[in-house]
Amino acid sequence: MITFENASVTYPGGVQALKDVSLELGEGEFVVIVGLSGAGKSTLIRAVNGLVPLTSGICRVGDQVVDAHDKKAIRALRAEVGMIFQTHNLVKRTTVLNNVLMGRLHRTATWRTLVGAYTKGDVELAMQALERVEIVEKAYVRASNLSGGQQQRVGIARALAQEPKVVLADEPTASLDPPTSHLVMRDLKSICRDLNITMLVNLHFLDLARAYGDRIVGLRAGELVYDGAAEDADENVFRDIYGRSLTADDVLEKEGSL
Amino acid sequence: MSAAPSAPASRPDSARPDKPPPPPFVLWGSLGLIALTLVLGWDWEYGIGFSLRDIYDNLGRHNPVLEGVRNLDWSTLASPTVLAGFAETFQMAAIATILGGIVALPLALLNSVTGAPNTFVYVAVKNFNSFIRAIPDLIYAVFFVAAIGRGALPGVLALFFLSVAVIAKLTSDIVDGIDQGPVESARASGASHTQMVKTAVLPQILPGYTSFALYTFEINLRGSAVLGFVGAGGIGEVFSNYYQRGWYDRLVAVVIGFFVVVFVVDRISIAVRKRLL
Repeated sequence: MITFENASVTYPGGVQALKDVSLELGEGEFVVIVGLSGAGKSTLIRAVNGLVPLTSGICRVGDQVVDAHDKKAIRALRAEVGMIFQTHNLVKRTTVLNNVLMGRLHRTATWRTLVGAYTKGDVELAMQALERVEIVEKAYVRASNLSGGQQQRVGIARALAQEPKVVLADEPTASLDPPTSHLVMRDLKSICRDLNITMLVNLHFLDLARAYGDRIVGLRAGELVYDGAAEDADENVFRDIYGRSLTADDVLEKEGSL
Repeated sequence: MSAAPSAPASRPDSARPDKPPPPPFVLWGSLGLIALTLVLGWDWEYGIGFSLRDIYDNLGRHNPVLEGVRNLDWSTLASPTVLAGFAETFQMAAIATILGGIVALPLALLNSVTGAPNTFVYVAVKNFNSFIRAIPDLIYAVFFVAAIGRGALPGVLALFFLSVAVIAKLTSDIVDGIDQGPVESARASGASHTQMVKTAVLPQILPGYTSFALYTFEINLRGSAVLGFVGAGGIGEVFSNYYQRGWYDRLVAVVIGFFVVVFVVDRISIAVRKRLL
């Protein structure tokens, strides 16, 4: 579903965030990317929908090449790829429903967007997405009035409203408490299973990565250093990925064992 | 009674640092400003000879305006001319603010890195806005009175340009300060630039924009008092009329009435703006 061929990204400042990464993700797979801050996790995820263009190499979604310079093609591709963010990225001053409807923008005529007249079908899709993450009763509440966990579920609903083939999640639990983190991860997992959506999730908590991922990809300083089944990733593997011994800060539940 | 608190354990290795001197910018900046004021204000070849003595020297002189204050003619406030002047000022300010606000919103959005679709549009609109802003409202009024004659229309046009200038400037300053998160998520969902601006940028700037528009209404009210002197309608025409005829008793009464009106509008607008932000 997603293929990277010798993908590299060098930022204008000269920082090489991704070095020659080749990777192939199957349809409906739940893949977790782990690595320290600055290892290139966010860059890898943003290369899939062209928010960060590759400096060299190729990324494909399905059989379409991601080309950030072809505005029309990249927008069509982004419509198929939902994205969930660490900071939720909701418009706080507007309703939950309006936020979820942002997921329908690519299929909505510009004049409809300008007057705020979404079609019944789009509203229905948005409501279904909210039902899926069990927060539909908040549809007409301002996003700013929700808790962090609720806001993240709205973020997931927005991605679902796109009817995506792929969902990217950039540290979706980083600003949530442990119980809420599990709730959000369970939502993502069930969406992946039930709707056969390919999931690419950045995480820095290793226990979460092992508990929810089918497959774990390890990045260190922009290089792919591990790619294997989640159940095979033991403490030694993570030590290799991180390039240091593990500490209590690397797991969500301190008493939990890896 | 109780034992004296024991002295903190001495740590000879971590001596307290000396207080650093004030930054040189503050010191030299203040001295520079004082020097500049003296040089420009002193009574010499290149100064304007600024002195408060003239005020004292003229205190005893016959002053018709002060005479007016002593014999205020409150009945003027109820005269049809004055009431019509106030009404016209309100109408001019309202029309100019509403139309100016509508035109200023796209200009404000395009005058920002986030809102402009490309650098060319950004630079072009920025220069256009600077141009509109560079011309004072009085000059607009003089120009439009010359072009289309005396009356409320040239006044409305002058206040319209003033509104566009003020609202576009203040609003565009907040566009680039918004939370970029929603902008990224709109882009990630495949939205076009216009759709992104409408759904991710507009809701964030709307409170500020509305507040600036209300503030501009007050500016326009005050502005109309001056524009009447060049023939651009409103209560200013009444001011100008009474001033030229030397009817200071009426003039001062109307000025005080105007002051009260502006003060009340200002209070209301502050209350409304507080709820917005």
